[in-house]
Amino acid sequence: MRRVPDWTIQTVAVVGVLGFWEWAARAGLVSPFYAPAPSAIGATLVELFAGGEVWPHIGATFGAAMIGLVLGVVVGTLLAVMAVATRPAEILLAPLMGALNAVPRIVLAPLLVIWLGIGIASKAALALLLVAVLIFFAVFSAVGGVDRRLIERVRTLGGGRWLVLREVYLPSVAALMLSSLRVAVGFAFTGAIVGEFVASSRGLGYLLSFAQSTYNTALSLAVVALIMVFVMALLALAGRLERRLTRWR
Amino acid sequence: MLEIQGLSLGYGGAAILRGVDLSVAAGQIVSLVGPSGSGKSSILRAVMGLQPALAGTITAGVPRDQIGILFQDDALLPWRSARDNVALGLRARGIDAATRGRTADAFLGKMGLAGLEDRFPGRLSGGQRKRVALAQVMALAPRLILMDEPFGSLDAIVRHRITQDLLVQVEGQGITVLLVTHDLEEALALSDAVYLLSSGPDAHIAAFHAIDLPRPRNLATVRADPRFGPLLARLWADLSAVVA
Ligand SMILES: Nc1ncnc2c1ncn2[C@@H]1O[C@H](COP(=O)(O)OP(=O)(O)OP(=O)(O)O)[C@@H](O)[C@H]1O
Ligand SMILES: [Mg+2]
Repeated sequence: MRRVPDWTIQTVAVVGVLGFWEWAARAGLVSPFYAPAPSAIGATLVELFAGGEVWPHIGATFGAAMIGLVLGVVVGTLLAVMAVATRPAEILLAPLMGALNAVPRIVLAPLLVIWLGIGIASKAALALLLVAVLIFFAVFSAVGGVDRRLIERVRTLGGGRWLVLREVYLPSVAALMLSSLRVAVGFAFTGAIVGEFVASSRGLGYLLSFAQSTYNTALSLAVVALIMVFVMALLALAGRLERRLTRWR
Repeated sequence: MLEIQGLSLGYGGAAILRGVDLSVAAGQIVSLVGPSGSGKSSILRAVMGLQPALAGTITAGVPRDQIGILFQDDALLPWRSARDNVALGLRARGIDAATRGRTADAFLGKMGLAGLEDRFPGRLSGGQRKRVALAQVMALAPRLILMDEPFGSLDAIVRHRITQDLLVQVEGQGITVLLVTHDLEEALALSDAVYLLSSGPDAHIAAFHAIDLPRPRNLATVRADPRFGPLLARLWADLSAVVA
């Protein structure tokens, strides 16, 4: 017998759940105030896009998340390289990053708003913080875990520091960093959206906060669906990048 | 060529071997045999400068860049194709990409790996990886080669062919070889001398045999030499004595 493909099962399940939900809402089994029907959420989404008013919000969140992601990866990597290269940097940075790792970093959101204002800077900064600490530890441990035998091999074949860096350290670290990248994408959006939720005048987090204050459940769920689609698309991209760069596996 | 005198090696202060004297004349093939864990690999690593000596001296007789070492494991760069792995040393010498590629392919061909140039090491068998590592070292045309169990994971036919090829190259070009092996027959067939290391800790050279079989040798016929059998019997006896 042929195996039923995964996606068929998944589609059937999603359609089933949504169908049941729709039916329950229409039959009056659940209050539309708490759980509006999928069709109502869909209508809200269509409305958001039809007026074009949602684009600046998407742009703001996307911008903050992407700036935070890119800068976070750069900053996290640079700090890790510094910590590996010099002892003073290591004994200062490792505990600092450990401390930052120990608290849920989103508690810094109010502080960042006070420092950087309610604009995009405070959101990008929060995303950066979330991402940088994650990447710092990924790179730091990756460098420590580099296979000594490969270093010896390149050196005994006449390779200097540069070749060892290029052929051993860089690929070893990249492989581990890429698997952290997918987590980092989620972190970047968490940072941006939480930042907006705390204080802002734009962004998907702002929409969420607006939906909450007006008890607009349909809008709230529509924004959640929107964020899900965006983040999943990005994750797929990150996954493809990872597979491409680690073809040798 | 290679002179080792009074060599002591150890890890974390404790000696694993002491007072090892060993010499390999230019153009000779010398084998080092001994029980597992006696310190054979450590000696090769010390010659290569990868391991500090606790005492003693090592004189290689050629500059470092003319020594090739074939490690016991076959760790290749996993993210580089067989070709790029072989070309690695050439790259370190600043040879242009086209020449590197051609040279690498030629050496892979000699090892019977034609057609596998673009494979990543993770998709090669253990014996194939060993041969890539051998090509990697041979591509640099070293004057002195240190080999640690190079033929262990090869099947009998390929092993015979690769070893014979290597023997022809080494004899023809006057390359000096220090070979670590567990195979006493192989040690005899290839070498001008065999050193036997006793079992550790505190291993030392327990026996030395000069092998004056004529060169050039043919692996298939050398075993038929009337001196081969008695030499092998004595090596066996010596090895049994240190293992017991
Ligand atoms: N990195 C290390 N740290 C501590 N001890 C080590 C290390 N490498 C090897 N040793 C020890 O040194 C001794 C000699 O090791 P070595 O690898 O030189 O043996 P060998 O003769 O090559 O053995 P084999 O035939 O099994 O390859 C062994 O007892 C081993 O346990
Ligand atoms: Mg060994």
